[in-house]
Amino acid sequence: MVFILGVNFNEHKLVQKALETFYALGPQTSVRILAKYSIHPRAKIGTLPPKVITALTAELSTMTIENEARRVVQDNIKRLRDMGTYRGRRHAMGLPVRGQRTRNQIETAKRLNQVERRG
Amino acid sequence: MQPTRCLLKRSVWKGPNIVPLPIVRPVQGQKIVPIRTQARSATILPNFVGLKFQVHNGKVYHDVTITEEMVGHKLGEFSTTRKPFIWNKK
Repeated sequence: MVFILGVNFNEHKLVQKALETFYALGPQTSVRILAKYSIHPRAKIGTLPPKVITALTAELSTMTIENEARRVVQDNIKRLRDMGTYRGRRHAMGLPVRGQRTRNQIETAKRLNQVERRG
Repeated sequence: MQPTRCLLKRSVWKGPNIVPLPIVRPVQGQKIVPIRTQARSATILPNFVGLKFQVHNGKVYHDVTITEEMVGHKLGEFSTTRKPFIWNKK
């Protein structure tokens, strides 16, 4: 078991997949981080020396990920809502924002488009 | 590729959509007359801040007071065109 940024990861997990479990850290950023610390793309977490683990944690703590990134998204939606724009209204109603049809197939919008967005 | 293509934004070389609006600076002591317009696609420019607009939604004119954070949006975003659906109670 290895801790990166307070999260416990299995030693057999790929480093790239472990990095991508953080919110707002996708394939593009994770590949860049691997390249920065010269880690093989298919390397497992168990093979990393502890020095690299601490370096990764330090790198991640400087980035806007997890709750910080969620707050950025929520602030953007809240700004639209407070201004009274059409997009803000649609978020408050939980309906599609960009002109999609609403007769059916709006499950994603119902789940995600909220003023206090969780996803 | 143009950078605006992937940002899904209006091309930079076009500039903002500037519509000639009858903007009159409010004179002290006189009543402020809102600017009545149907140009919903007009971009809100920094010199609109503090002015009052009446933006058409296809049927009526909605009052919109421009604040600083609205700059860069369009006038039509603040005048809703759809009637909210209310279930008919009987």
